[in-house]
Amino acid sequence: MQSKVSNNRLAAILSDGFLGLYFIFALFPLLWMVLVSLKSGEELFTTQFVFTPTLENYQAILFGDPRAAAGVVARQEFPRFFMNSLIVSSGAVILSLLVGVPAAYALARYRFRGKEDLAFTFLSFRFAPELVVIIPLSVLYRQLGLYDTYWGIIWVYQLVTLPLLIWVLRSYFEDVSPDIEQAAMIDGYPWWRIFWSILLPLVRPGLAAAALLAFVFAWNNFIFALVLGGSNVQTVTVSALGYISSAQAFFNRMAAASVLASIPQIVLALSIQRYLIRGLSFGAVKG
Amino acid sequence: MAELRLEHIYKTYKGGVEAVKDLNLTVKDGEFLALLGPSGCGKTSTLRMIVGLEDITSGEMYIGGRLVNRLEPNQRNVALAFETYALYPPLSVFDNIAFCLRARSVPKHEIAQRVRRVAEMLDITDILDRKPAELGGGQKQRVSLARALVRDPDVFLMDEPLSHLDAALRAHMRIELKRLHAQTGRTTILVTHDQLEAVAMAQRIAVMNLGVLQQVGTFDEIYNHPVNEFVAGFIGEPPMNILPTRPVQEGDKLWLAALDGGFRLPLPDALRAKVERSKAQTIDLGVRPIHIETLDSSSEAVDALPATVQTFESLGEEGQLAAQLGDSTVLVVTSPLLELERGDAVKLRFRPDRIHLFDAATQQAL
Repeated sequence: MQSKVSNNRLAAILSDGFLGLYFIFALFPLLWMVLVSLKSGEELFTTQFVFTPTLENYQAILFGDPRAAAGVVARQEFPRFFMNSLIVSSGAVILSLLVGVPAAYALARYRFRGKEDLAFTFLSFRFAPELVVIIPLSVLYRQLGLYDTYWGIIWVYQLVTLPLLIWVLRSYFEDVSPDIEQAAMIDGYPWWRIFWSILLPLVRPGLAAAALLAFVFAWNNFIFALVLGGSNVQTVTVSALGYISSAQAFFNRMAAASVLASIPQIVLALSIQRYLIRGLSFGAVKG
Repeated sequence: MAELRLEHIYKTYKGGVEAVKDLNLTVKDGEFLALLGPSGCGKTSTLRMIVGLEDITSGEMYIGGRLVNRLEPNQRNVALAFETYALYPPLSVFDNIAFCLRARSVPKHEIAQRVRRVAEMLDITDILDRKPAELGGGQKQRVSLARALVRDPDVFLMDEPLSHLDAALRAHMRIELKRLHAQTGRTTILVTHDQLEAVAMAQRIAVMNLGVLQQVGTFDEIYNHPVNEFVAGFIGEPPMNILPTRPVQEGDKLWLAALDGGFRLPLPDALRAKVERSKAQTIDLGVRPIHIETLDSSSEAVDALPATVQTFESLGEEGQLAAQLGDSTVLVVTSPLLELERGDAVKLRFRPDRIHLFDAATQQAL
């Protein structure tokens, strides 16, 4: 009995230790990014963990560089890029929610011809690398006048966000017994009230998790924003290129920009954390 | 409160599956009727048509004299207690029950009053604040019943209400449901595959099979006078023995001879007229296990049929004997005190007033 207890304790300590190691391993790049963002140009290429932190990188990207070097453009425009990212990413997620929630519901509930083919088509958007479709898309976008517009980017982001939302939510809707909706019908509610006050609360964990993931994917997207967006809609991911010029690479400013750019995702993830664990693990198994 | 009348109701699904065929049934005002049948017999389709979740392919349905074919579920003023309870998980028990009243914009104080009243009736006043996920099966069942009853429905339907409860709770809820019906006086329809539930609760039983209504009546009528072999075999536990025979005339006496030659039974006078009238070539003789007497093999009675014991089990309150009669196995419910071994010779006597005869060709009772 005694040895069993101590065995358990040993196992607990070992697993905690292992998790701790993994935690450090997984988060080290983030830590490094934060450290680099606080370093001045002279310390940039050292591996020192102890140095005099400076906020000048943040100052430079947010308010402009007092010692601006010629040829390194647009770094002080970071707030605008940030807003662009925010607009296209939230726009893409909102549009995906408006389209994807009804689509997921229909795929979960109704029987119609070609249903599985349709569902698979949505999923297949995620198969092909973005590079495969980017050239025809860019030709189309220029012809349609969608190049370098918010709508254009939001639209193309649907390739990223919509399949995810549909597939995660579909399995959630499938898990809700149709009896519940029928009971509400007998109770005398119109379908939209049933949907709003009964169904949506039930799929909320999935909705939160899928929307967050979709937001992260959209936010992190690089290639679509690079090729289909110009200076008007440039996002933070694309603007990161601006910190590298032929003359100099401002890795510390890039790191500062990255730190700031990751804030919305972290805030979002923390605010819906209580749905997230359930939602993600559920979706992973089912979807 | 209202009478429910179904006239020539058909339900054909896409793909041509006929779930219900020419159903004619009247449930009287305030009556408790059980719709009983094996799975796939059309009872659930019937229920869903009554509630309005399923279109009626053809025929007419009246609730309280009002044609309801084209009415939406909420316009029919019917209530359904679902087999799965179908409680709304995000809402508290109180809100679950109040949900339908809110849809009708009943004033707030009246909602509170009515919810409280049904909650008291079902003894769930102490759980009104809880969420469905926190409730046990029996409590969910009560909430689902309360939700159905709170709107004062004209017709109250229950779909397999006890199938998810454990045995003890089921027995208890049977009594509760019966009390509830007596208390509310609603026209009530119970859909079940379990004859015990139907018998225990309902005033009349409608037996369905393969989409066709077989027989409607009190348990006594259905048990003692089944109209066909299906009803005879479906009602009663253990099921009725069915033995194929042929009528044989010998002098002025009429006998039933087993097709396999296993026995010859002098036909009781009461049944003779029936057999002569029907002119059936083959007659299925039906007799329930509890209506067979087990006699000593030395018995001289003319209607005692020699048989061989296959198995005998004493189940405490009763004994169950499987005996070989010709090529058929006959089940007999006996006294548990018999001492029988495999291979023993016995004689079986079918109680003459408890013999059922069916035309083997049509399966209908003679």
